[in-house]
Amino acid sequence: MGLDLCTVGGKGDAVSMIVAEALHYAYPGGGDALAGLSLTVKRGRRLAILGPNGAGKTTLLLHLNGSLRPAQGRVLLDGVEAAYSRTALAAWRRRVGLVLQDADDQLFASSVAEDVSFGPLNLELPPDQVRDRVDAALHAMGISALAEKAPHMLSFGQKKRVAIAGALAMQPEVLLLDEPTAGLDYLGTRQLLEALGALAETTLVFTTHDAGLALAFADEVALFAQGRVIAQGDAQTVLSDANAMKQASLEVPFVARLAARLQGLGLPAQHLRTEEDVLAVLAAHPLAVDQISVSGAV
Amino acid sequence: MSSVVVTKPSAAMLIIDQLAHGNAWRHHALIEKICLGLGGLGVVIGQPGWVTGTLVSCALMAAAVWGARIPFGFLLRVLCIPAGFVVLGALTFLFSVDANGIHFVASGVAAAFTLIGRSFAATVCVCFLALTTPATDLLCGMRRVGLPRDVAEIALLTYRFLFQIAETAATMHAAQAARLGHVTPMRRLRCLGMLVANLLPRAFERARHMEIGLAARNWNGELRVQASAVPVSWWRVAAIVWGWICVLWAGRVMQ
Repeated sequence: MGLDLCTVGGKGDAVSMIVAEALHYAYPGGGDALAGLSLTVKRGRRLAILGPNGAGKTTLLLHLNGSLRPAQGRVLLDGVEAAYSRTALAAWRRRVGLVLQDADDQLFASSVAEDVSFGPLNLELPPDQVRDRVDAALHAMGISALAEKAPHMLSFGQKKRVAIAGALAMQPEVLLLDEPTAGLDYLGTRQLLEALGALAETTLVFTTHDAGLALAFADEVALFAQGRVIAQGDAQTVLSDANAMKQASLEVPFVARLAARLQGLGLPAQHLRTEEDVLAVLAAHPLAVDQISVSGAV
Repeated sequence: MSSVVVTKPSAAMLIIDQLAHGNAWRHHALIEKICLGLGGLGVVIGQPGWVTGTLVSCALMAAAVWGARIPFGFLLRVLCIPAGFVVLGALTFLFSVDANGIHFVASGVAAAFTLIGRSFAATVCVCFLALTTPATDLLCGMRRVGLPRDVAEIALLTYRFLFQIAETAATMHAAQAARLGHVTPMRRLRCLGMLVANLLPRAFERARHMEIGLAARNWNGELRVQASAVPVSWWRVAAIVWGWICVLWAGRVMQ
């Protein structure tokens, strides 16, 4: 996927914001969805959670904003253990927003603007401020023109952006997104990621199956398998680890494989994340194309 | 003046909803459309006779087609089913059946015309409102005049779910048809039963997800949203009221 959205790097050491410690959770009648899962979300970073279906990605997101309570383990927010009283949950969700995979699960109001205003009104903000937040969230998602539309008349991609705007209007510090690009076409994915990429102040945690997308967009990656995190770290490092990727039933993304091959040829390919990055290196070193083709398939 | 573009004309319900959201009078104040629609209904009730009914029908159909840009053909399609029932009802005034056969009842002509004129006009009034005003706007208006909050919220969610469930049902129906589920009446009946049986748990599942989605935005038991304020044109309201008074007067004179 030719995404050119990587604006990260050089952010220095980020502070841990959310820490999940040894979480266990099982759905009634099912196996362990989370089996001793531990994970750290750092402030201001973009964390991609990758793993096969049923690995526990969505279940983890639901734990990170208090929608589910772990059977064992705990979630810490800025070092403070999360509580599950009504007041504590309200304060938690004020800081940690959640966008579900199916936007239809979130949209209920008769117009887009009304739906986006739901969260800010629940924060007991004055009407003028609610209006400002709605306008800002719609603008951030590039859907100001849809403000008066009925949600059920929107396209799939538009609904997704409305659902994200609904969470953004609460101005959370962390935004959890469950498969934000699932079902979107190339243009829809690109537009959504551009909008998300512009949220410089917001910590993003998103689940995906798309390793290429994670490489292009995330600072960090956590690989999931069987309810546990099997690797977490810098996106390029984790996504280039063939063993860890295999354990998570994933394939090392093409760009990462190509970058490794270019590095093997002594070219500066440490920070390649997108196809555009690779093309730029190849344009600067045209002989590398022949060397790669001579040395075999990527 | 913008014309209405109807997309995905899969069902009359969806088209009515699309028109309600996309007609040229979508952003006129609710009270103005209420004055037109329910005002017309009041005139029909207040002034018996087919002339008044005909005048009200013509006025509202003209308003819907020229004003709100509702396609004339679709308006007729929406009206033809209730109109069919009205005509069938009127036939009972025009004919009587006894042992000697069917007889035309001349004295019933006036009553039949009155029934058709008034009933059709009442139908046009309701259709006008349905085609120019989204159901959610009507709910909002009803809440302002005293509909309990819980009832309004349940109605709003039901309305929202209707479209999702209709979409799911249509997808399941297509999937059944693709696997020859509807080739015989018995199979069709069985598929219909399975479809209904599957819709219920899906609706529950969706409701559960909706609860999680709302809770993530700090839902506290009340579905509060900031409705956009539409300014009321009291001149238009006055003109509508004056127009209906004229219709009342004309109906009385011409009857």
